[in-house]
Amino acid sequence: MANFHAALMRACGHVAAAVIAAITLLVCYDVVGRNIGLPTLPWVNEITEYALPIATLAAAPWLMWRNQHVRLDLLGAVLSRPAQRMADRFASALGLVVSLLMCWYGMAMLLDSRSAGSLVMKALVFPEWWLFVPVPIGFALLALECGRRVFKPSGLTENVGGH
Amino acid sequence: MLWWQSLLLLFGALTLLLLVGLPAGFAFLAINLVGAVIYLGGEAGLMQVVRNSVASVTNFSLTPIPFFILMGEVLFHTGLAMRAIDSFDKAIRGVPARLSVVAIVAGTVFSAISGSTIATTALLGSLLLPEMLRRGYHPRMAMGPIMAIGGVDMLIPPSALTVLLGSLAGISISGLLIAGVVPGFVMAAMFLVYIIFTAWRHPELAPPSEPEPTHGWARWGPLLINVTPLVMIFALVIVAMSAGWATPTESAALGALVTVIVCLLYRSLTGVALVQALVGTAAITGVILFIIIGATTFSQILAFSGATNGLVGLVKDAGLAPWMVLAAMILMLLVLGCFVDQVSMMLITLPFFMPLVLHFGWDPLWFGVIYLICMQLGLLTPPFGMLLFTMRSVAPSSIPTSEIFAAVTPYVVMGMLMVVLVLLFPGLATGLPALLLGK
Repeated sequence: MANFHAALMRACGHVAAAVIAAITLLVCYDVVGRNIGLPTLPWVNEITEYALPIATLAAAPWLMWRNQHVRLDLLGAVLSRPAQRMADRFASALGLVVSLLMCWYGMAMLLDSRSAGSLVMKALVFPEWWLFVPVPIGFALLALECGRRVFKPSGLTENVGGH
Repeated sequence: MLWWQSLLLLFGALTLLLLVGLPAGFAFLAINLVGAVIYLGGEAGLMQVVRNSVASVTNFSLTPIPFFILMGEVLFHTGLAMRAIDSFDKAIRGVPARLSVVAIVAGTVFSAISGSTIATTALLGSLLLPEMLRRGYHPRMAMGPIMAIGGVDMLIPPSALTVLLGSLAGISISGLLIAGVVPGFVMAAMFLVYIIFTAWRHPELAPPSEPEPTHGWARWGPLLINVTPLVMIFALVIVAMSAGWATPTESAALGALVTVIVCLLYRSLTGVALVQALVGTAAITGVILFIIIGATTFSQILAFSGATNGLVGLVKDAGLAPWMVLAAMILMLLVLGCFVDQVSMMLITLPFFMPLVLHFGWDPLWFGVIYLICMQLGLLTPPFGMLLFTMRSVAPSSIPTSEIFAAVTPYVVMGMLMVVLVLLFPGLATGLPALLLGK
């Protein structure tokens, strides 16, 4: 179970990395192509924009798992170890509530937009609810990780070399 | 609720959430969710929070961030950055505190291709610090320059945080990136003068550490081979942007691609290194953008609750001289910088600062550069400067943390001096963008 969770979290990180690799290549092809007369891709700017929330929400649970999100580590310096664990548990519980609310309302937003039949009409035309898909998924995974930390508060799960 | 009550409630709750150790991104989201119920009409407001969270990061002006970070990560993981530092080590000699000077010069060049201050500091710290300590450098002489030049990385483009500031504050991103160049280099020069002067007055702080004497090609060759391409990547990004060939996003992506190609030509690119660089980029980008997810709603709630207009109106009506307002803003940034991270700092202050910048008719580029220097100082000021932690993680445990704080102090003072210089001579910030972009 723990192994599966770790694999899931790592997979999130790899999805984010893959998305970044893909948009780097797309934007490069577009700018080079435009300057040397290759056919250009008018939808590149748009796709790059849409890729950012996907990368962000895919990375978020993985970063939580690696204890890498920016936090004010004031209590760590003054509290005893058991008290620190309590504080971590409390913070994780708050994170869980926030994630669940975001997941719930993300889903509501998605269904709302779907039933309204809203369309995004720029270079690409597609149903607006597609844009909201990463929200419930990303926050559900965040909720999963926060939930794990409530029951099993931990320090650093994985060391991050050089950063 | 009166505006000041809302202001107190929102910032009080935010401070409390940050204090219990909730990650900054969650803290902003939690405030947004509660604020949405109170100020944005309950259920509909909560849906708006979700819509805004997607909209906050679905923003073309933010796309240079991952690309700039990728450039530094690729150089870091392929070992090309280390070769460059090694080349400086061979070439620079005959100056007091030689290794500190190497740190500043190499750090400045590395800043010019790395979008991440933390990567720069970690790299120089893990590479040069052990060598300096082994040669009997005083820890302050060894650590100070490394942390200080890591901070300058934020001013010298490419810089992820500069892109973010431009995007959130509505300042021209290419203008702001270029505006940071001169102050960044002036600051690096200031550090150099200080280091050389101190080591000349107190030679015991930095015992001589001349490398094996080499001449001609053996001395200068590595510099030419390993550093020239890096300078060219920097030039490519700046020229592509200022000549109008490419948007900041496109120049950043090109910069990342060319960096990968250069590493390939140097035969230092491996599949593992590339994956590590991409994963590292995803991590740093995720950390920054996850806080930004709360940005739009947070500033909307500040506006709807009347807090923005209330506070901005109060300042406008107080009849204060512009310099007093500016001084108060700088002071606020410096104090905030001691406690919160740079991204949160922008989210908290910009909704109030930008209307005032507009009101007083200040040049946004000039203000942006001052803001950047203040944020950079925030990286260096105890107790929560990010680069102090980075240094802590690479410094031997025998060095007390207080020594790390002491090491960085003179550089913080020089940073403040730089703020004053930009205040007195706005041309330092606005000159280069005017020349290159006509802005």
